[in-house]
Amino acid sequence: MSSPLKPPEGNWWDVPVDRRESIYLGLAGIWSLLIFGWMSIFTRIGDQNPIGDTYRVSPEEFSENLSEYRENAGETEDGVLIPDGEDVYIAAAQFAWQGTPVQLETGKTYKIHLSSLDVQHGFSIRPEGNLTRQVNLLALPGYEWVIEMEFDEADTYHVICNEFCGVGHSSMHGTIEVVEG
Amino acid sequence: MISALVNDYDEDGWRKCNVTGLDVHRSVENYVKLFGVTAVVALVVGGVFAFTVALTRWEIIGLLGEEAFYRHLSMHAWNLLIFWMVFMEIAILYVGGPMVLGRKLPLKKLAGAGFALMAAGAVIINYAIWTTSQPQEAPLLTAYAPLEISATFYGGGIVFLLGATVAALPFFAAVYLHYKDTTGSLPLVTFGAFATAIIAVQAIVGGLVVFSYAFLWRIDVIGSIDAALYRQLFWIIGHGSQQINLAAMVTVWYFLTHVVGGAEVFSEKVSRTAFVLYVFFINLGAAHHLLSDPVVSAEWRIFNASYAFYGAAFASMIHAFAIPAGLEAGRRKRGLGGGLFGWLTNGPWKNPVFSATIFSIILFGFLGGITGVVMGQLQTNMSWVRTLATVGHFHGTVAVGTTLTFMALVYFVIRVMFLKQLAFPRLASFQPYFYAGAMGVATILLMYAGILFGIPRRVDEVVWNIPGSDWSMLAAAPLITIFGVFAVLAILAGVIFAVVAVVSVFLGKDIEEGGNADLVPDGGYGVGADMEDGDPVHKYDVRGTFAITLIFLATFVAVYVLNWYVLTQLWQIGP
Repeated sequence: MSSPLKPPEGNWWDVPVDRRESIYLGLAGIWSLLIFGWMSIFTRIGDQNPIGDTYRVSPEEFSENLSEYRENAGETEDGVLIPDGEDVYIAAAQFAWQGTPVQLETGKTYKIHLSSLDVQHGFSIRPEGNLTRQVNLLALPGYEWVIEMEFDEADTYHVICNEFCGVGHSSMHGTIEVVEG
Repeated sequence: MISALVNDYDEDGWRKCNVTGLDVHRSVENYVKLFGVTAVVALVVGGVFAFTVALTRWEIIGLLGEEAFYRHLSMHAWNLLIFWMVFMEIAILYVGGPMVLGRKLPLKKLAGAGFALMAAGAVIINYAIWTTSQPQEAPLLTAYAPLEISATFYGGGIVFLLGATVAALPFFAAVYLHYKDTTGSLPLVTFGAFATAIIAVQAIVGGLVVFSYAFLWRIDVIGSIDAALYRQLFWIIGHGSQQINLAAMVTVWYFLTHVVGGAEVFSEKVSRTAFVLYVFFINLGAAHHLLSDPVVSAEWRIFNASYAFYGAAFASMIHAFAIPAGLEAGRRKRGLGGGLFGWLTNGPWKNPVFSATIFSIILFGFLGGITGVVMGQLQTNMSWVRTLATVGHFHGTVAVGTTLTFMALVYFVIRVMFLKQLAFPRLASFQPYFYAGAMGVATILLMYAGILFGIPRRVDEVVWNIPGSDWSMLAAAPLITIFGVFAVLAILAGVIFAVVAVVSVFLGKDIEEGGNADLVPDGGYGVGADMEDGDPVHKYDVRGTFAITLIFLATFVAVYVLNWYVLTQLWQIGP
């Protein structure tokens, strides 16, 4: 009798482990190491990694940087920003994505400077034509995250907020127009 | 009515349980009942808000406006994810500690004080959420600073966590006293409960720090709060509390599969090693909440979110074998079932304690466990986080996993501690099938909505309409509609549970002497009292378990590969 309600008897540590259990544990152990290894390797060889430099920045500083960027940026007839160079500034604020709408080109690597001017916001983006291609990053007040992106397909990309940021959160929507480069 | 709820004890307050064979003292049993009943109250409150939340996300119905939705969602989260769980877990500690060890409840006054503090904390938090008014915001589960959330809420969090700490002390005292009186190892269930309690302490320390930090900020003792630091501290308790659920649930699995299924411990060494791995590594997994965040380095994220090289995920995979293997070997030893799966198919499937336990083991592993590891990878997290897929994951762990397990435990406690027959027995037998089926489908649909359509969590509308925008995510409309139907069915199954539980306890028929014989596989007095003979349990053939776990591993690999496929279809992100 080997009950989980009673103290185990004798030298339970030396009781041999069943052969099938050993095989399974071996497989599970190898799998654990494989998926750890893949995650690490992918940071070196992969094209989708949530990695970029972070800087401390006050909301006021980031706002100033955003204004300066806007002044240097061009504009389409519809008032869509065209960044001057590779830097793109996007500030989340209750309840808008400042710096959108913005027009970017495919095949060009941009540095997206992402921050929040008030509370935490979720930067959630997808092209209109394929909702499965979606990615979610965080905009934190007090921090500027510089994350590279290179778009491969022209489309209208919709940005919504998917971290609760107060009543009005569900209306927080912006667009990134990606055109052929 | 109250006198009918008091069991027959001898003059020193002891009775022998005719199901488990344990010597049970009144002091333990009364507190288990107290915490258990309170947990069910929280389940009912949280379940009511499950209904209003589901009918809002089912946007065609769109029951609540935006402001009310966040308040209702907060009530749903705190009552189900925290209060229902933690009150049950204190009850589980008292069962796993003093009750299994055959002791009185030590430090009874602390148990009472802990209960009072926990109840007060729960009431304060519910009050703070319900009375939220602009410019203050509802906290949801996370109360992410610097969102303007009432100081009362954070204060309630501190009180509740202090209460849980105090309530856990009698458990630690029981283990300490046991070691003073005897030598040798703890029973496995006590060992699991002990691991659970250590994990709880780790989590609660983080919780006290983070809520104190936010509380001091809200009452203007400190001038500002760092959003990144808050996140890091919050998730020590935010996910740590869910790891308490996990460890408690696994402990209950060992307990219930043994008592109602005839399971034995397949390998003490393997199962205990898995619990030790939990203690060391499981709370590191909280870092997966910071995977798509700035601030923390990639190395820090990879090391911690992998529970340090999957130390704790491996431990869960150990239990995934050990528990069904124990059931298979125990039942084969008793001559209950041949063939590959006969030991499982001829189980007491009409007994809701058994069916709910087995369903929760399977669904937790396949739905909650696999997705937890997949979304806990640095890169695939970007597709999962803050979408409905995340909500699907934790309904896979907490709703069809822990909640279903705890439902089994409540049915069990009604039979063996309240000594009442289950009211509406056919409905009770059917309930785990209904809940597991409906909630299982709802969970999968949430995952699809998140991964295939990127539908965000925590919004009242987005599929049919985004306020102020002419674009919305209409492609997901059919999926969300089907989800709405299954969510309502799952809630209905929850209602059936609550009705059966409450009517059984307060109006149920008493169980006569020998009336619980159907609960145990041998039909006799105490599980396995006559099973001293036979081969050691590890000599029994567990080829059925081996087959099930190979299917599990294959599913794991398939889900993993599919998720990576979806990720690599994205444009380039990062260096």
